Amino acid sequence: MSVENIHLIWLQGQGCTGDTVALTHSSHPDLMGVLTGILPEVSGITLDYHPTVMPSWGKDAVEVLERAATGELDPYILILEGAIPDESKAKETGGFWCVVGEKEGKIYTVNHWIDTLAKDAVAVVAAGTCASYGGIPRGNPNPTGAKGLLDYLGRKWRSKLNLPVICAAGCPVSGQNLVEILVHLVLTVRGVLPPPELDEYHRPKFIYGYKVHRICPRAGFFAHGDDSEDFGEPYCMGLLGCKGPIAHCNVPARGFNSGVGGCTTVGAICIGCTEPEFPDHPFSPFLAKAPAGVYVKDTIKELIGHIRAGLHRLKRREI
Amino acid sequence: MGRKEIVIEPLTRIEGHLGIHAVADTEARKYIDAHSFATMFRGIEIILKGREPADAIWITQRICGVCPVPHATASSICVDQLYKVSPPPLGIAIRNFIDIGEELYDPVLGCLILEGPDYSQAIVEKITPSVWSEAQRRTAERRDIHGFSKISDIMEALNPVTGALWLKGVEMQKLGSKIATIFGGKHPHVQAIVPGGAAKTLTTSDLEMFADLLAKHIAFSKELTAVFDDLVEFYIELGYEEVGARESNLISYGVYEDIESYNCNYEDMDEWASKRYVSPGVIRNGELVTTSLTEINIGIREFVTHSYYDDWDKYEEKTDPAGNPIEINHPWNKETRPHPQPPFQWDGKYSWASSVRWCNLMRDRSIDAYEAGPLPRLWVTAKAKLVDEATGKSLKFRLPRTAIVGFKAWEEMELEWKVPEKPNTLERVRARAYFHAYTAYVAYKLLGQALELVKAGKTEVWTRYKKPSEGMGVGLTEAMRGALGHWAIMKDMKIYRYQIITPSAWNASPRDPNGTPGPYESAIMGSPITEETPPDEWNGLDIVRTIRSMDPCLACCVHVYSKNDSKQICKVLI
Repeated sequence: MSVENIHLIWLQGQGCTGDTVALTHSSHPDLMGVLTGILPEVSGITLDYHPTVMPSWGKDAVEVLERAATGELDPYILILEGAIPDESKAKETGGFWCVVGEKEGKIYTVNHWIDTLAKDAVAVVAAGTCASYGGIPRGNPNPTGAKGLLDYLGRKWRSKLNLPVICAAGCPVSGQNLVEILVHLVLTVRGVLPPPELDEYHRPKFIYGYKVHRICPRAGFFAHGDDSEDFGEPYCMGLLGCKGPIAHCNVPARGFNSGVGGCTTVGAICIGCTEPEFPDHPFSPFLAKAPAGVYVKDTIKELIGHIRAGLHRLKRREI
Repeated sequence: MGRKEIVIEPLTRIEGHLGIHAVADTEARKYIDAHSFATMFRGIEIILKGREPADAIWITQRICGVCPVPHATASSICVDQLYKVSPPPLGIAIRNFIDIGEELYDPVLGCLILEGPDYSQAIVEKITPSVWSEAQRRTAERRDIHGFSKISDIMEALNPVTGALWLKGVEMQKLGSKIATIFGGKHPHVQAIVPGGAAKTLTTSDLEMFADLLAKHIAFSKELTAVFDDLVEFYIELGYEEVGARESNLISYGVYEDIESYNCNYEDMDEWASKRYVSPGVIRNGELVTTSLTEINIGIREFVTHSYYDDWDKYEEKTDPAGNPIEINHPWNKETRPHPQPPFQWDGKYSWASSVRWCNLMRDRSIDAYEAGPLPRLWVTAKAKLVDEATGKSLKFRLPRTAIVGFKAWEEMELEWKVPEKPNTLERVRARAYFHAYTAYVAYKLLGQALELVKAGKTEVWTRYKKPSEGMGVGLTEAMRGALGHWAIMKDMKIYRYQIITPSAWNASPRDPNGTPGPYESAIMGSPITEETPPDEWNGLDIVRTIRSMDPCLACCVHVYSKNDSKQICKVLI
């Protein structure tokens, strides 16, 4: 397979474009750098279809998707932003939930393009929680039967390069995290890196490997029993509804936009926006405390950890 | 009469899913009919039912990843009213700062990345070559401020990927979002707006970083307004004022709270909303008919005659909390009942957007389509004379000296935005650039006020509350794209009904029961066609320019080809 050029096809389903906006705020590399080619290994990447940023419109835009479908844009990575509705439900009354393009009086649903394009993609990436697991549109009672790519294509589904669906979760996913996942896949396609290791919900472990509570800048306050009781205080946010103990994300540690921000970092709470159940139980009501069970486990672990770390420090240094 | 149908689906370089079908008269070279239709539905209002009212602050932001903060703002005002909790002044200041961060990022994106390329050399030279030759001859009047000698130099700077202004835009929008991130934790979809104030541990570091990023935006706004003044004046002299023109029916809810006035009482809304730095008001046929936010609220109507929804029959809310009568078509009574149906049924239902209208209750009860956006809100603010900067015909304000390497205009500068003759495509773009400058100006004032609070030791950012079990709330504010409203009814401490009317619902609305077209549609209908190519090569440039002038939305027109391939970009652009 020629890897001189790698095409990116970015579809939007039931989404809000937040993942796109976040992507334009990445820093190292930034999106411009990826597209112009910061180094030979990360070059020749073209964003051929993206409804919000592409120069062309109307039938010229639809033609890009058709060219991908006929193999003209091989190899391509298919990226989806937004959830996938159950179009059979809309069809019962002759309608649709989500259309991407029209040609000669015929409309095409986002489902049509996923069905057409996923099978020949070298990798399929879900950008954001909606595309990964359904997210907000899938929130109870899920009026449109929305789901994410993981359910739509299935856990056993594999791309042309034998890769499963890759979930860049987050609402939105931070641009920095997304760009790193995309670059990782480009390097995988080119044989520079092995495929990213994934967790049970298909999230790359190098981004989502730890729980928020563990890497939170306020975790030290938790360990000392210092809790914020009012918003504005600098301590652990657990009493005010933080879901850090049950959510996987690196944002509090590395910030959200060029190193600044981070939900708990600034004094807000984690609402678990990277998780498959978001925005339903146990992540909402957002201002309600996380289930008590997790704290019992965490507290026992932390106590043992404290003692062990203390003992280690009492030992004589050997170097 | 020769006719040609122009079909644009997808309409790219906007946020979301939109299609346009327009009919052109090929001899008169103008559009005679247009239908705009939204092609995506999620059902957020249905998903909100039965949830905690506070959760709406987070969930409704997910309606739009381009302008999430105004959703959080509208929702927090609405939930403050439900929970009967008023934030402390510094809490309101932080909410303002988060909003301001977004309103500094969004217009830059709109002017330079989404709308700008439509006036770039790549488009102009190809589709309107005579305009390009004229631009090459024309000296830019404000060249000392922005540094571009000819109008054609500005057009070249707007070329995607290679143009200096386009590239600066990519950088500057990021710095605006960074302000929202400093105070909001992340952006898009900020975390720190909560009922009763802000969930933010404020430090001096935050305010210093904010001051630096703001200074850069102030500096940039001096250049941006000068660029668009020159570009717009050039085009208007060429006779472009009819492109995208429509009647002066405009609406603004106002935005940026006065930190000492805002509170959670609906009955006080007229009072605190009149102290906003951007004023609420309605302009009908060029005349200011009200500045009362309560009057604006109770006059709002929503129809689904041409939309994929069934009508609702329950009429439960008969009055607002102040006792004013509320009609069944008001959002406080609306039920969202989706009913998917086939496309292109112009006489029946053809869009997922509903028809939002305003009823002039105080005068003749006329129901009209109103346009929302930066042009309407500057217009209303200038006419309403509720702020010191308003003269009745213009908005005059002074930007401080900003000595920053990398920016061209350092000196203090007075800007004046003048009320134009009529709303049209070019004036909407110019207003967007001026709104960026006015926001930067307001932000500088507000930063001073926040520092005063810190100095006085008034550092509380949140008010503790006890939830009542029932309530009624409304949050009216401005997103970059225009007037945004949230309405909620709370029963048993849960959301019984939640309704949202976005600026795009005002602008993208299909025809109403009287057959009145929505603003996108009416702005296209009657618009001249300026493409200099033969009719069979027309691709709807004036349509996309017009729609984008009202819907700055989203992100970066990030390009597609590698740098040394710029010719190819131009090819695809056209």
